[in-house]
Amino acid sequence: MADKYIIKTRIQKVLLHVFLLLLVCIILFPVCWLVLNSLKTNQEMFLNSLALPKKWMFVNYATAWGKGLFFYFKNSVIVSAISIFFILLLSSMLAYGLTRFQLPGGTFVFFLILGGMALSEQVALVPLYKILQALKLYNTRLALILPYIAFRIPFTMFLMRAYFISIPKELEEAAIVDGCNSFQRFTRIILPISKPVLASCAIVNLNNVWNEFLFANVFLENKKLMTIPLGLMTFQGDLKSDYVVMLAGILIASLPMVLLFLCMSKQFVRGLTAGAVKG
Amino acid sequence: MKKKKNLAPYAYVIPGLLMVLGFVYIPIIVNLVYSFFRLSSYSASMKFVGLDNFRRLFTNETFPIMIRNNVYYCVISLICQVGFGTFLAFMLESNLIGDRFKTVCRNIYFIPALVSLTAVGMMFNFIYNPQMGLLNTMLKHFGFVSLQQTWLGDRNLAIFCIIAMSQWQFTGYITLLMVVAFQNVSRDYIEAAVIDGAGPVRRAWNIVLPLAKEQLLVCSIITVIGAFKLFTEVYSTTVGGPGNSSQVLGLFLYQNAFLHDDMGMAAATGVLIFIITVTASIFQLKVSHSGEV
Amino acid sequence: MTRKFKKALSLGMAAIMTLGLTACGGSSDSTATTAAGGAATTADASAPAASGDTKVIKLFHRFPDDPCNGFIESKIAEYESLHPEIKFEVTSAQNQPYKEKIKVVVGSDECPDIFFSFCGEFSERFIREGLLLDLTPYMEADQEWKDSLMESQMKEYTTADGMVYGIPFRLDAKEFFYNKDIFTKLGLEAPQTWDQFIEVLDKIKESGMDPIAEGNQDKWPSAHYIGALNEQLVTDETRAADYNPKSGEFTDPGYAEALEKYQQLVSYMNIGVNGMTHDMARLGFTQGQNAILFGELVEITNIKQENPDLNWGMFKFPEIEGAKGNMNLVSGAPEGFAVSSKTKYPDECVEFLKWFLGAETGAQQAEQVGWFNASKGLDKTLTDESLKSAYDVIANAEKMDIWFDNALYSTVCDEYLTQISDITNGDVTPTDAMAKIQKVAKEAQSLAQ
Repeated sequence: MADKYIIKTRIQKVLLHVFLLLLVCIILFPVCWLVLNSLKTNQEMFLNSLALPKKWMFVNYATAWGKGLFFYFKNSVIVSAISIFFILLLSSMLAYGLTRFQLPGGTFVFFLILGGMALSEQVALVPLYKILQALKLYNTRLALILPYIAFRIPFTMFLMRAYFISIPKELEEAAIVDGCNSFQRFTRIILPISKPVLASCAIVNLNNVWNEFLFANVFLENKKLMTIPLGLMTFQGDLKSDYVVMLAGILIASLPMVLLFLCMSKQFVRGLTAGAVKG
Repeated sequence: MKKKKNLAPYAYVIPGLLMVLGFVYIPIIVNLVYSFFRLSSYSASMKFVGLDNFRRLFTNETFPIMIRNNVYYCVISLICQVGFGTFLAFMLESNLIGDRFKTVCRNIYFIPALVSLTAVGMMFNFIYNPQMGLLNTMLKHFGFVSLQQTWLGDRNLAIFCIIAMSQWQFTGYITLLMVVAFQNVSRDYIEAAVIDGAGPVRRAWNIVLPLAKEQLLVCSIITVIGAFKLFTEVYSTTVGGPGNSSQVLGLFLYQNAFLHDDMGMAAATGVLIFIITVTASIFQLKVSHSGEV
Repeated sequence: MTRKFKKALSLGMAAIMTLGLTACGGSSDSTATTAAGGAATTADASAPAASGDTKVIKLFHRFPDDPCNGFIESKIAEYESLHPEIKFEVTSAQNQPYKEKIKVVVGSDECPDIFFSFCGEFSERFIREGLLLDLTPYMEADQEWKDSLMESQMKEYTTADGMVYGIPFRLDAKEFFYNKDIFTKLGLEAPQTWDQFIEVLDKIKESGMDPIAEGNQDKWPSAHYIGALNEQLVTDETRAADYNPKSGEFTDPGYAEALEKYQQLVSYMNIGVNGMTHDMARLGFTQGQNAILFGELVEITNIKQENPDLNWGMFKFPEIEGAKGNMNLVSGAPEGFAVSSKTKYPDECVEFLKWFLGAETGAQQAEQVGWFNASKGLDKTLTDESLKSAYDVIANAEKMDIWFDNALYSTVCDEYLTQISDITNGDVTPTDAMAKIQKVAKEAQSLAQ
């Protein structure tokens, strides 16, 4: 009986491992194929995409980098950093205000902002474009930053609110006794204790903002302001695309987020766990 | 002094609220207004046309195709990303596999979600390419030449190719979110559910899932909303082709606004997307009986 | 829950209405703060803030790839050094995004002073809104300049009322390119008539090769076949009436016939036409996997780059015997620059274009980029044989017929391209396709008013 049970678990175990490894292959195999082809010439890739390159064309990566990837990176970093900062700041303030004070209409405000989660960017696209033009913001970085902040606040506030509710009130009560005002309580107690949720909100939003395409495509025109997703599209020429360089560009552009995640995955998961819905 | 104290709480709420109102709600209301006008991006004139934009939208030959494609995307994503993703999370949380292996798998599954949509679109353009793409080359290599397809160039396959690409990208994302939710559920429940020979599936269904219900709800809402605002995936691969076979609402909106100078039609499409996503969200909230969120 | 939500919603509406103005004010406040943080970098900000006499001219083009982009940049730098009072701000985008972007900016205050614009309907809709500068008076004032440009090309940048609105930057036409080695090996000659063409295609196919390389993922490449076929199968008058959005009907049977002829060609193309881009398919031609390519003259540069050893030639679109249309047209169009009617410096812009699109710059452009502009007599300076023959194609053309996809009104064009794409896959019959196009053309009549 016990033997049977052990054998059964062992079989289960093997099957499970095989299954999970198979999925790993499905994810990684196309990527490896792309890496392989990014090291060939266009002709080689076209004639046989499975063959090994005759000569490893690492120069493709240099060419891709030289095509302005650096500037797209810079733009993405600037736009993301400012957006993330304000998303976190405004959302945490909102969550704090909504969880720590009995505001008249607080529930209404909560639902109003939460409703923003269901509203898609497309619906706002045309008017936003006209509004940004009227505000003279079209084709500036702010044209991206402001909508990014606004559209990311609802989800972020939602995550933070759950976390803030779970913070024991006693901590703040002690601070009140010490004579801290609400702002001091916010900056000295709530924010430090919320680091995990702030971190995971930052990563979720960073991923969104870093990869955003629709707004960037419509609100920017200047090549010098383009972010990575947009810049990558310029690799696709009209009558001529340098495919291998394009592949190299895609791979370079994808790397930072992946590396960031791999380095921080522990903190990320912990933060998400702590701040998960119904924390 | 006293007055100042009363105002303080508002100071926390107002900046964020104004941002959301200014850049989310106002544009959406303006969009509603636009949907009753004919206007173009480069001309200043606006002409009131009543419901004509909606009539043109609903009678457009592409309309049923778009709805069909968005619904396909939505249903398949729910099954694969939310359904299979949750199942996968469940497998990962079972104690049959080591922690290290589990973390590695989980992280690898999540990686595609970190790559930008345009990059993934461009990558899959290569994978689906009929001449040198991975799929056809592999088929040829293993002697299944007759199974070779045009993939993105095939009317009947194009939208499914795009959907498959999204599943590749986002299943791991949902898996990670669900892993997180399961970790909040007491470990005992999961172990009990996995080990016990007598219907582990049923136990999981009955015990663990209800505990992670909130997270599941959020995941499915995100997925449904995502399905109806689908844009970049199509824009970076087929741009609606071949013919109109992979046209979707989001792309239709974009093309009308910025290619056909028909901002009114675009706005009407926007209103439709708005109605669908909001209805779907409210519906799911109701079904889950968790109005309090 | 629902009642609460409803109440919340209606309250929200009211709140938004009242807050509307405040919100806008608030947002521009935050603008100021972030701008101080160094976030706001507009294109204008980098320019010296209207210091003294500097005239800033914004130029927007669609050639972001080298060598062309580099060529434009170097020429502009050269011009700036010759005219210190003028400063350029150049932006560029790829073809498809460009088409979307230019429409967005052209009507706004951010409109570039000089910008790339396709001839035909693409530009004419801007003219209908009064957004393009009338260049006719400048041409009249400078007869020498006017005479230095090829009439057949300038005609394409002139409206029916005689308004000149653009100057060509590069000339282009569509020709069949063929692999001479394959043709010799199979004992074939460049065909002149449609029947000969089909015969040639059959022979190549018998040898086990897909004769034509084509990729139609972007939808425009196949439209060029239809444009060329329409020229021969439909009379000029009928086409002129149909290509005009206000009178377009597309009821002539020649249009369906053109689709049929195209369908015939599709059977000779490589697999997966709709699943590939044109340039990807071109690799099939340059790598010797296909024998024929329907390509543009501007692609010669690319062909040489992809395979310098390829032994290729060109032939004209074969003549369909007994067709009622015009056999002497060459499909293609000049592509050039227009000036915004809103520009503060119309004279400076025109002066620049005279130089930038003139003979001297044109000769360098032909040499460095492999494209030539509309200045007469460029062939004298050309050294490359293939470019010379390309130049002859255009110089000998009695009349051009502009790109099919630029000739049509945007919704009609979209429908036409969609149908051609479906025809390519064999998902629709030519007659049904035309019926759908006719319907959209009818709707366009009211939209274009």
